[in-house]
Amino acid sequence: MKLLTKTSRYYIFISVIVFIISGLIFFRLLNNIFDRQLDNTLFEEKLLIEESINFSDSVPDFRSVFGHMIDITILIAPHKKVEWIRDTVMYDNVKGEFASFRHLFVKNTSIKKQGYIINIYKPLRESENLIAEIMIAISLLFISLLFLLILVNYFISRRVWIPFYRTLNTLSQYEINQDTSLKLTSTDIYEFKLLNNALERMSKKIRQDYNNLKEFNENAAHELQTPLAIIKSKLELLIQSEELDEHQFQLISSVFEATSRMAKLNQGLLLISKIDNNQFPQTEQVNLITLIEKTLIHFAEIIEIRNISVTTDFIGPVTLKMNTTLAEILITNLISNAVKHNIPSGSIHITVNQETLTIYNSGNQLQTDPQRLFERFRKSDHHSDSVGLGLSIVQKITHLYNMRVEYTYNNLTHSLKIYF
Amino acid sequence: MKLLLIEDEKELAHSITEYLAKENYLCESVEKYEDAVEKINLYQYDCIIVDITLPGGSGLNIIRELKHNKSETGIIIISAKNSLDDKITGLEIGADDYLTKPFHLPELNARIKSVIRRRSFGGKNEIIFDEIKILPDQLEVTVHDQLIILTKKEYDLLIFFLANKDRVVTREAIAEHLWGDGMDSVDSFDFLYTHIKNLRKKIMEKGGNDYIHTIYGIGYKFSSAL
Repeated sequence: MKLLTKTSRYYIFISVIVFIISGLIFFRLLNNIFDRQLDNTLFEEKLLIEESINFSDSVPDFRSVFGHMIDITILIAPHKKVEWIRDTVMYDNVKGEFASFRHLFVKNTSIKKQGYIINIYKPLRESENLIAEIMIAISLLFISLLFLLILVNYFISRRVWIPFYRTLNTLSQYEINQDTSLKLTSTDIYEFKLLNNALERMSKKIRQDYNNLKEFNENAAHELQTPLAIIKSKLELLIQSEELDEHQFQLISSVFEATSRMAKLNQGLLLISKIDNNQFPQTEQVNLITLIEKTLIHFAEIIEIRNISVTTDFIGPVTLKMNTTLAEILITNLISNAVKHNIPSGSIHITVNQETLTIYNSGNQLQTDPQRLFERFRKSDHHSDSVGLGLSIVQKITHLYNMRVEYTYNNLTHSLKIYF
Repeated sequence: MKLLLIEDEKELAHSITEYLAKENYLCESVEKYEDAVEKINLYQYDCIIVDITLPGGSGLNIIRELKHNKSETGIIIISAKNSLDDKITGLEIGADDYLTKPFHLPELNARIKSVIRRRSFGGKNEIIFDEIKILPDQLEVTVHDQLIILTKKEYDLLIFFLANKDRVVTREAIAEHLWGDGMDSVDSFDFLYTHIKNLRKKIMEKGGNDYIHTIYGIGYKFSSAL
């Protein structure tokens, strides 16, 4: 939900509640005022009636005087004084319908020692109409006020939040591995100024840490190259020695193997950090199908030795805009993976169309969690020869070009699908 | 043959000079850029092996200097940077070959020989080892003057062996020479065995000796001596 919608909702919600409550209070107040006024009139009329009874001994036709219903009854026996006033509904002869009346009831003996019952009914119609009109006017006023409030709120919010949205926009487009540091447009609103400063400071720190880490990764991998090269070269000199016996050769062979693995591992890490450091900036149109065919030829010998059958299903010429070296690494890793984790006399099936590249290969079920397949050093134990970086590199490359890679396994077939 | 090695890493330079010394090369070694520039201006070398990142300057500038002097020297770049750009630049300005560290010494040796062979225009371009004769320009191999038909891999293997004759060469170095470093070593050892078996058979069919000796699980040695 947008901030503006949220605040507007609150505004409307609270305003409506306030209006209902204040409207009810106002309505009661208004009613009371009108009632009191009506009551005063009724009592004045009562006094008038009592006075005229006192003076004239007869009961005049008050109805013609006041224009509404008055009912006077003379009681024989004296009574205690009773007087009350209330609203009532009765049939209005004038209008010919039921209507609300204010009803004053007086039972009195103070007049000429005789008892009277005086009922005065005054129609509430007029005051009711008046109240209704007032309420309608007030409601209209309220609604237009509310509308205005929302409108004003909307425009003010839009103006006031502009720097915030600008910051948000810059932030969402910003990537920590790009060359420039985060630059936010300045604003005169204090809070947003604070926010921008905090964000800029934070991103600067993150960038610094990120760059340090990247640099460290690359330097570490890079610096390892030289000692590895020295170890290899010394071993190669050592095996030229005439005095070595079989056991010593075996020892050297093990050292060789370990060194090679380390060198391979290091190369993989170096490659990953290079991709991270965006050191493959130049892109070309790479013909995917040609590349796959070339790579398959490269693997032809091992495919033949392992008696793996390869089938392909290529639709169209498919070209991808990417770095040639990375494209080659990607395809080599995928095919090498399909060969490596295959079973003897297994199969590989490769399909390519405009949207996807899929490599299916027969093979035993994964020992590791498929979700973690693309993590570094994630490998099935029986292939201790691989260093476990192949698919991690595949993922790095696909991420770099906003491609998606998906792994599925069913029916003894592994498949890796890349969505371009 | 006179070689100049320009490499700032002392230990690696030692290994290389020691390995190459057995080839009857006169191999000089310098560590600094300035020394290298001085040397190439004073003496004539058959081949220069140059590291790109040197204290005092770029190895690429040494190549430019050589080319400026219209030198006929063969040039091999050895670099820790596996960067395509450096490789392209290096080859463009006139280097003959590019090797990424860490490399195998037999590989460097084979590359040097290949560069020198290509550079020696005057002499006959042929490799002779006892009864085996190779004409690299024609890609022809004869044993006792009888032509043998080798596959591309077998031919490369033979050239590599002859470049490093009488030395123990690891299976890994051979595999990397034949297939590059993208191949899984265990698998490539399998085909390597097949190729070596075939090569040995083809040479022996024409009356050649069995020169390829297996060295205890580590590699092979191409040698007429036992």
